Amino acid sequence: MTIEWIHPGLILIIGAWVLSFLRGRIKRLAMIGLPTAAVVDCFLMTPGNYGVVIFLSQELVFGRVDSLSLIFSYVFSIMALLGMIYALHVKDDSQHVASMVYAGAALGVTFAGDFLSLYVFWELLAIASVLLVFLRREGSAVEAGFRYLLVHVFGGLLLLAGLVLHWSQTGSIVFGDMSAFSGSLSWSLILAAFLLNAAVPPLGAWLPDAYPEATVTGAVFMTAFTTKSAVYVLLRGFAGTELLVWLGAVMAVYGVVYAVLENDARRLLAYHIVSQVGYMVCGVGIGTALAINGATAHAFAHILYKALLFMGAGAVLQVTGLRKLSDMGGLHKTMPLTLGLYMIGGFAISAVPLFSGFVSKSMVVSAAGESHLTVIFLMLTLASAGTFLHTGLKLPYYMFFGKDSGLRAKEPPVNMLVAMGMAAAACVVIGVFPGLLYRFLPNPVDYVPYTLAHVMSTLGMLAFTALGFFLLLKHLDPERTISLDTDWFYRRGVTRFMTPILGPLARLEYFTVGELYELVIQRPVLGVASLVQRFDSGVVDAGLVGAGHLTRILSHRLKIVESGHAQHYGLIMAAGIVVLLAFLMFTL
Amino acid sequence: MTVYPVLTVATFLPLVGAVFVLLFGCERRARWIALATAFMTLAASAPLYLNFNKASSALQFVETREWIPSWNISYGMGVDGISVLFIFLASILIVLCIGASWIAVRTREREFYAALLVAETAMIGLFAASNLFLFFIFWELIVVPLFLIIGGWGGERRVYASVKFLIFTLAGSVLMLVGMMVLYSLCGTLDFKALALARETLSSHHQAWLFAAFLGAFAVKVPMFPLHTWLPDAHTEAPTAGSVILAGILLKMGAYGFLRVSLPIFPQGVQFFLEPMLAISAVAIVYGAYVTLVQKDIKRLIAYSSVSHMGFVTLGIFTLDQRGVEGGILQMLNHGIVTSALFLCIGMIYERTHTREIKDYGGVGKLARIYATFLALFCLAAAGFPGLNSFVGEFLIVGSAFKVQTWLGAMAIWGVALGTVYLAWLYYRVVMGATHSGLEKLALELNAREVATLLPLAILAVSLGVYPEFVLSYLRVPVADILAGVVR
Repeated sequence: MTIEWIHPGLILIIGAWVLSFLRGRIKRLAMIGLPTAAVVDCFLMTPGNYGVVIFLSQELVFGRVDSLSLIFSYVFSIMALLGMIYALHVKDDSQHVASMVYAGAALGVTFAGDFLSLYVFWELLAIASVLLVFLRREGSAVEAGFRYLLVHVFGGLLLLAGLVLHWSQTGSIVFGDMSAFSGSLSWSLILAAFLLNAAVPPLGAWLPDAYPEATVTGAVFMTAFTTKSAVYVLLRGFAGTELLVWLGAVMAVYGVVYAVLENDARRLLAYHIVSQVGYMVCGVGIGTALAINGATAHAFAHILYKALLFMGAGAVLQVTGLRKLSDMGGLHKTMPLTLGLYMIGGFAISAVPLFSGFVSKSMVVSAAGESHLTVIFLMLTLASAGTFLHTGLKLPYYMFFGKDSGLRAKEPPVNMLVAMGMAAAACVVIGVFPGLLYRFLPNPVDYVPYTLAHVMSTLGMLAFTALGFFLLLKHLDPERTISLDTDWFYRRGVTRFMTPILGPLARLEYFTVGELYELVIQRPVLGVASLVQRFDSGVVDAGLVGAGHLTRILSHRLKIVESGHAQHYGLIMAAGIVVLLAFLMFTL
Repeated sequence: MTVYPVLTVATFLPLVGAVFVLLFGCERRARWIALATAFMTLAASAPLYLNFNKASSALQFVETREWIPSWNISYGMGVDGISVLFIFLASILIVLCIGASWIAVRTREREFYAALLVAETAMIGLFAASNLFLFFIFWELIVVPLFLIIGGWGGERRVYASVKFLIFTLAGSVLMLVGMMVLYSLCGTLDFKALALARETLSSHHQAWLFAAFLGAFAVKVPMFPLHTWLPDAHTEAPTAGSVILAGILLKMGAYGFLRVSLPIFPQGVQFFLEPMLAISAVAIVYGAYVTLVQKDIKRLIAYSSVSHMGFVTLGIFTLDQRGVEGGILQMLNHGIVTSALFLCIGMIYERTHTREIKDYGGVGKLARIYATFLALFCLAAAGFPGLNSFVGEFLIVGSAFKVQTWLGAMAIWGVALGTVYLAWLYYRVVMGATHSGLEKLALELNAREVATLLPLAILAVSLGVYPEFVLSYLRVPVADILAGVVR
């Protein structure tokens, strides 16, 4: 590391270590000060290559600073700051350490200019984030965390295999545009590793599995870093890969469809991460200047509003201890601030004009339109409507309005509200002044989001969706009075209503994908392992021990010869002479 | 140069210490004498590292005395970049072994520490020997103290385990003895350098047979599949110090034998057996990892993981690629550091709980934070986490394996994957989750002595992960020298 450049990730990672020794007010000061320092550090950087280290006669670049890595570093460091403010009241130091390391690892991924340093931070990302799940310290969290860990370890190994193969074939570990190697094995392995972290189905079941199990504050961090750093590496290495266009569009719809079936507030939001990341992946796949800008801008905006949504849902979880939407209702009376801030996030993700989602998501959708990808364009638009339906309408309706559950929860701690307020402000500022965001994008921008046609069509679509929701609500109402405290009834109530197609889908997700880990990873691996174990003790070891036993048995047999009686010996000698003579006679 | 014969002193100082321990080591004094001897040995070997010339391919610190002139056998010692690293590892590990046995061994202490010091002599001597005759003597010598340590201070099935260990290793050694006699009758010398020069006179037929004979000895010690089954028993039953020596040094002797004997002297034999050796190594990696996964006994689990990890070592060596062989040797060192550390960790908690069954653990992290941190570090290191030592070794080996044949690299990666799974799962079951009843009452946290025992290995694991060049710079010249004679 040179003095002219300080790795912001290092500030956070070393800071995390220091943080564990601090107490009281100084600790809280450091929790804000360290991410602030990282933010300032990122904004002061100038493009160039820094932190070059020779390792195993390869050049490791820890600091590749260019327009793409810069904008991601801005949003990652800002997010670290918001997340730490949101977590300020939490007493459990381990969570803070894990969060800071997690954010630092994401910054490390952002600035990595070669595969090896990328891999280091990639693994750190997995380890730090799984701690945020474990640290909820409940049985279900530990189990989900372990599944999460296994999946990410597997993804890390895909990356490792890909990079080692790439290295032994090309002799280089520079991480750049991979299109020259398109279709090769190493290319596929690395792409698969990235797609796994981006939660692309069918590699993405880990996300809705683990995120709802994380700690309240940990989940806020998790929404920001893992999938978006995957989007960053995809942008860096796989821009213009056609496969991604389709995967992204499918993701966008997939996430929305599953969100329909969801009752756990944070799990619903987790599915929307899948959906939103779908837009980015799609943008990466389209690969035009506008699409790259759109994916980048959307990642930026998404991190802020999704964090805001998770903060809102987390705040409700924090004060009520409830996770299921069907248990809540009527909270608007006692938590108006939370509701208001949440709604800003809800409008942003639904791409309502004057909110951040509008100016970023529309870039990707327009890029699809410009590239004449009509089907993709329609899928993305459809997913947009679905997003508004769930995050903008359904979730807040059940959580804050709806049937009064009798809950009279207070507003969450001040620091939570402050963090939410800052995120909400960012959503509005970006929405109103898109130029602020556009000037940092990797490609020159001549895109104007606020045209009359665009605003009108968006508003029309949103209004139609809202109308649909409230019409549907009349039918939903009696269903909700069925005992709703188990997911199954809730989902069946909805699925009966939402056409039979969703029924099998729900079962697929809950009874197949949920168990997929056990079926695909755990059982075969352990099954083979116990087979091999049986082979090892039953055949290999038994064979060798058996050889020993055979020797012993043979010597016992031979012992009979040593009887101690002279006549026996004489007899044996005589027999020996006979055998020898016979042998000589027959051979000569 | 130094004023005293460094290698001879470093080799035989522990033997002198052993005599002292036996003579004066009454009551609790034995451990102090042993510790002092181990530190003195470490100090006496310091010139090896300070004055070593990494650029030279010749043996250094050479000592030669006439020994049996009629047979043309001399007492010869000398080190190159490979052996000097293992002398360092051996002399460090003995200090830590004594630290780990400080409280654990309370019976027949004199005999125990004397055996430990004799083992040190055998280990250092083996790596310092510059001819096959001396090599063979130390090769056999190590078996005696280890047999005693396992059989005398081990667990419930210690006698079975120690006898099994003895039979396996001696059976292997017999083949090596035969090979050595054949080699002597063919070449008329047993000096390593002279043999390497005389290899041209050996026919490929002879070379193949000789390779096979030495393979018998080396494969048992490594251990290579399917001759590995003595290892889990010996590891499991041995006291902590015994496990550390087994994992840290004894297993390395076999791989070192390949580098010192097989590759330089029988290059055509190596060519002949190359494919099977690569295949066996790759199988060992995956096979060992699978067996590890379902072990219920912590020590047995780590023992089986050694089979998998040593598969990486032999895979690296038999890629016959500069990077791969360097990675293999680095991995020998890494495995010595990390697996020893894991055995030390297990020993420490076993002293408190007296159980090795994984199911009896759980939630240790809440009760012993320092312990959990160390265990996490070493588990990560063993799993090949980037930034820690094993990652570099595995990275080099896998890269070379991919170059040789893609499926070898794929097997190795599969082994890494399983390795991460079994170590994560072990950690999960022991450290995380609900606290197992019965553990709360025990004082599980480490004391200062134990932290001091683990700390050097932790420092080594981290520093070799961040700066592997420290080791690789020693290896570059000797490895290139070995590979120059072996054409792929």
